[in-house]
Amino acid sequence: MIIASVGNIAQILIVLILATAAVIIMKRDIRSLIKTYSFQSLLLALMALLYFVETGSLTLLFLAIIILVSKVVIIPRFMGVVQKRLNIKRDVKFHFLSPVTSLLASITIVLFVYLAFSSILSELNRFNSSLFLLGATVGMSIVFMGMIVVFTRKQTLTNIIGYLTMENGVVLFSLFLTELPLLIEVLIIVDLIMLTLIATILAFGIDSTIEEFHARLNPFHDSQKKASEEIKDLEAEQQ
Amino acid sequence: MVIYAFVGVSVLLLTVVSKSHRTMNILSIILPASYLALTLFTLVYAAIPTYSLGGNYFLVDHLSLYEILISAFLFMLAALYSRGYIEGSIEIHEMDRSSLKLFYVAFNLLLMAITYAFFADNLALFWIFAELTTAFSAVLIVILNAPKNIGATLKYVFITSTCMLFSFIGLILIFTLTENNLGAGTLNWSSLMSIASTLSPAIMFAAFIFTFVGFAAKSGIVPFHAWLPSAHSKAPAPVSAILSGCVTSVGIYGIIRIYAIASQTSELPKISWFLIGFGLMSMVIATLTMLNQVNLKKLIGYSTVENMGFLLVGLGIGTPLALFWMLFYTLAHAFTKASLFFSAGILHHQYKSVRMEHIRNVFKFQPFAAWSLILGTMAIIGMPLSAIFLPKLSILLESAKLSPFLLFGLLIIFLFVAGAFGIFMIKLLSKKEEDAPGVKRYEASLGMKIPIVILLVTVFALGVFFPQQLNNLLNSIVSELKIG
Repeated sequence: MIIASVGNIAQILIVLILATAAVIIMKRDIRSLIKTYSFQSLLLALMALLYFVETGSLTLLFLAIIILVSKVVIIPRFMGVVQKRLNIKRDVKFHFLSPVTSLLASITIVLFVYLAFSSILSELNRFNSSLFLLGATVGMSIVFMGMIVVFTRKQTLTNIIGYLTMENGVVLFSLFLTELPLLIEVLIIVDLIMLTLIATILAFGIDSTIEEFHARLNPFHDSQKKASEEIKDLEAEQQ
Repeated sequence: MVIYAFVGVSVLLLTVVSKSHRTMNILSIILPASYLALTLFTLVYAAIPTYSLGGNYFLVDHLSLYEILISAFLFMLAALYSRGYIEGSIEIHEMDRSSLKLFYVAFNLLLMAITYAFFADNLALFWIFAELTTAFSAVLIVILNAPKNIGATLKYVFITSTCMLFSFIGLILIFTLTENNLGAGTLNWSSLMSIASTLSPAIMFAAFIFTFVGFAAKSGIVPFHAWLPSAHSKAPAPVSAILSGCVTSVGIYGIIRIYAIASQTSELPKISWFLIGFGLMSMVIATLTMLNQVNLKKLIGYSTVENMGFLLVGLGIGTPLALFWMLFYTLAHAFTKASLFFSAGILHHQYKSVRMEHIRNVFKFQPFAAWSLILGTMAIIGMPLSAIFLPKLSILLESAKLSPFLLFGLLIIFLFVAGAFGIFMIKLLSKKEEDAPGVKRYEASLGMKIPIVILLVTVFALGVFFPQQLNNLLNSIVSELKIG
């Protein structure tokens, strides 16, 4: 009975995660994009927690905690700060596809992934559990939906959110397919944070002229200069 | 392995505390040189293949040592070249003196990431190190003060890391598959090789395609190549050389490893044609773009796409002979390409641009660069006596066994490549116009010329003389891979 209800909750969570991905594709306002991403990660953490309750594997508990700390709190907060400083609120221009066509394309993708997976993955033992196919399909579809966001939006910040969504999809996919060693999960999160950092710093550069870019970085340079001057003064005193 | 890490970290720390360009540069030469020595030592004296660092996360085998030899050698020459080149960049205000430290730190970190990627036996670890190479090389590209560099870097980071996520999905599939068969999942290449023939071919094929997407993006295979020419042409010349010679070979290395696993299943013919198809597509598209190129470094960048395509074709043919020459081709291509980028770097500092319309009177201003470009071009299009000639010929002969049409297609492509390079170089080098008054000759330092000479001499020496040790090394790699 308990197992059945866990299954039901898991189903609801999966559908909600898919819905957040659809929202990310449709939204233009960057601040609400960041919030949606944070909500999606929260759902993902709940999912991992649910699995921990069911299987009792500590790896999943750690995974839930890592997701909660990094993706629900740190990354969205960081992106929020960057967004405020860049002062970009919406993206208006799109490559190739408008949001509506993107949504239609992603519906097609979900169907296609479902068909492909139900034929390819049927050889696995886990295939018989009812949630497996749903979870794997939604995970994979979210990866593709994130990719649509990366390649159709022009703002770098939105691209980063697309990439992060893709990564959430991968985690969801791996959650249903198998249990990866914890070390690998941790390293992936570290990698994710690093790439986010690099891309965001670059976003400063692309959205402003080079002089502004340097002016923004200047506090850092100044402090470095001051430090080196102080060292020189000290050396002079010693002599 | 531990020594590698120790040397790496200590050199990094020294770089962080050192103040002058000179010390940083010397340290960056010492690191690859010590890696080179260590690798040679391991190759000669240690029992190979062997696990390292406890557990079975890292594996030292002939293939990884071979790739590290190439990378360490190139990094050493690039570091030697950097001193003159970066000084020049600072003089023409392309770069700030304050970013020097960042440059050398990222340079050394990149070498370490590449080394550990080659040593990783666990495919997930390999994936992570490959991602790290993207991050560090992105820093190296963006180091110049130009808005276009930022755009190129963003493109690079987004395309490669997006595609690399697909690779990760492929790895998850492989992990699930082994868990399904063995009870406990594994991603260790050596254990995967031993059980590969028992895995389900259909899922293995799907996993291969997913992993291929990411690693192909890393090595610039069409249709994931869009980042490569722009990143290679915007980066400083030593960085372009490294990107072209080492970072792309990380991708090819990943494909070789996964291909070795997948080739144990019954899907081998399908996978081979898949690789040959992508290889041919890269070659055709790169060649067509090369034909009307006006930017020297972009031309060389597209030539990398074309050569990576040819490597895939060689891999796809998959006979031991083709594999042997394909591995040798990796080395020959890396060296030749680096020499071309180094020569282009000298021209860049002379004319502040590598576009055709800004370059004139090359023989008057830079006779050395002109001659090294000519020799490099001859080598890269595979003229006899150059190191690229023999592998090209042998792979072509092997391709004829598979299908005469393949041979025919490849020959036509090579004809066009030679044409594109030839026309470009003749146009570039024969331009004689009145100089704008006050144009000064850029004096390339000796440190910039020596690497080019070393590379070209090596390329042409390997073309006529094939050392027995290299032969043994390549043979043992082929026998370890068990393809075909």
